[in-house]
Amino acid sequence: MKDTGTIAEHGLVKRATGIHDLDTVTHGGLPSGGATLVIGEPGCGKTIIGLQILASALARGEGGVFMSFEESRDQILRNADAFRWGPRLRESSRCEIIDGQSMRRAEFSGAFDIDGLLAVLDLCARRVEGTWIVLDGIDQLLRRQLDSQTAIDQIAQLNDWCIEHEYSLLLTGKHISSDRTQPDYLNGIEFMLSTILVLSSTLVDKRLNRRFRIAKYRGTRHNPDELAMLIDDGGIHLPYADPFIPETIPAAGERLGTGIERLDKILDGGVYRGSITLISGQPGTSKTTLGAAFVAAAAGRGERALLISFDEFARQIVRNVATLGIDLQTPIDSGHLRVVARASWDALVEEHYMALLALIDEFQPDCLVIDPASALLKSSGADSAFLALERLLAVTRTRGITTLLTSLSEADDPFGESTLSHASTLADTWIVLRYQVKGGERNRSLSVVKSRGTAHSNQVREMTLSPQGIELADVYPYGSEVLMGTARIQKESEEFALRQRQLKERLRQQQRLEREIDKTRALVQQGQEELERLQEELIAESHDQKEVDRGVDQHQDSVIQRRNPGQGGLAQ
Amino acid sequence: MNLTPADDAHPKRTSLILFVTGEAPRSRRAHHSLSAALDDSSLDIAPAREIDLLREPQQAIRFGIFATPALMRIDASGNRRVLYGDLSDERRLKDFLAAL
Repeated sequence: MKDTGTIAEHGLVKRATGIHDLDTVTHGGLPSGGATLVIGEPGCGKTIIGLQILASALARGEGGVFMSFEESRDQILRNADAFRWGPRLRESSRCEIIDGQSMRRAEFSGAFDIDGLLAVLDLCARRVEGTWIVLDGIDQLLRRQLDSQTAIDQIAQLNDWCIEHEYSLLLTGKHISSDRTQPDYLNGIEFMLSTILVLSSTLVDKRLNRRFRIAKYRGTRHNPDELAMLIDDGGIHLPYADPFIPETIPAAGERLGTGIERLDKILDGGVYRGSITLISGQPGTSKTTLGAAFVAAAAGRGERALLISFDEFARQIVRNVATLGIDLQTPIDSGHLRVVARASWDALVEEHYMALLALIDEFQPDCLVIDPASALLKSSGADSAFLALERLLAVTRTRGITTLLTSLSEADDPFGESTLSHASTLADTWIVLRYQVKGGERNRSLSVVKSRGTAHSNQVREMTLSPQGIELADVYPYGSEVLMGTARIQKESEEFALRQRQLKERLRQQQRLEREIDKTRALVQQGQEELERLQEELIAESHDQKEVDRGVDQHQDSVIQRRNPGQGGLAQ
Repeated sequence: MNLTPADDAHPKRTSLILFVTGEAPRSRRAHHSLSAALDDSSLDIAPAREIDLLREPQQAIRFGIFATPALMRIDASGNRRVLYGDLSDERRLKDFLAAL
């Protein structure tokens, strides 16, 4: 039984705790033989770690012993019932819970031994074939010793005994708060034991922030950072436990449409699959609409899309973007799209992070939109929201999830687009939406600030919304400016009028020429008629002449004949 | 070892149980200290029953004793008090026996 779930590293054999995050930061678990000290102030989750490790061991078919110097068996089981795995402790025959709190009410006279304790633990561990032993509240026992050296020696004895019998022992003890000097025995134990976990909690913005740190883990690699820790009904979680492995990032080559044709054209075909796009802009610059267009396009391709909103309820978004011709209801009904609303103030940054990860794990989306991601900045947390976002983006990148984040810029921000500028360095594509106030009107503009691996246009374009959807208007450069809104429309109509005028002018010219031709043709006709008339006249004239000539001849003849026909004729 | 049968069936009298672990020095010291105190005192207390937790670890769970040596005092009405340690503080031990 004892060999289950153990791995060896440089001679140190580790036993998995079954708490995924804890096993991750410890690179495989806690020593399979020997003691691990968990220290922390009251209420930090020391007991919970112990109970959860035990419950995990039970689930794997191992046994375990839990002994508390602070609480009764019933109290412990009641505490455990708050967790999903709690009933297992109550029901399993492989779980031994020993009530050791009688020590608290006792009197002391001189030093004492713990051999009896070891005998009891051995008895119980053998009975349940146990691998794990948890001694909860060991400080209750140790502080009874007259001198600290005895206490230290006894922990060493306990540790040696566990190494010999290959028991994984978890000791939990209260860290005395910093205003009082720490008792010697804990100091001595910290020197002696090779594995120490420190739990702490602080209040940030009136919210409890739990932290976890491996103060010491001799002989093995481990994550030494102070990590945010959460406790929910699943037990403890270290949201940032998983390391980032850059090698696993799939190389992106495929372009995905953004749902806006003109934008795709500007981006050389769309955004790369698995890339990160940041859309920043002031309130009302249509960030959500762009996000909705993106998920609608993804769903339209038959992919799975997840839209997480920190601003609006799911139904509101669906209704609002429907007026712009973006249909989210159909893909929601078909299961291609899920819209999840969260409230930034409702949870710690780490809790949001974990919830988002859980959603991604469960829904397995191809595309993800977080609207606005900058809302995370409003939640309090042990670590900054940027860290959570960075980690989340590492996950989406690793899994090839094409991600679109929106970020709200403050109106009084001098740059107007810097709120999540930190995240913009992570983004492959950064689109800035703005209002251009000019000539008494606000017009939405869109510009691509950066787009890695893409020959993109640097042009600021006007973006218009209509029931037909989102449109990017044609660019009207005017001097050093781009015309927008009324100015653009004016320019557009001016150009239209000019074209109309030119068209009319040409038409008129054609008509004039046609008229001229007609006129000329009429003149030609007229001339022809005149010509014919004149010719006829000429013919008639020459005919008359002949008649006259003949008359004249006849007259002369008659005159000659009358004079003297013998004498007369001079010439004849 | 001066093993005396337990007097559980005798509720009228105060009974003592000394929990020890084998021949551990502190256990031996406690045994001697207790014997001396009882010899010395005028209290009407039967000699202590001794339980070796190394041989009978289940008794530790039964009585809730996990450190040794430990002296348990059960009075006539069944109330238990426990004094841990090697009983080297004579005054403390006498007070305990006298139920002060």
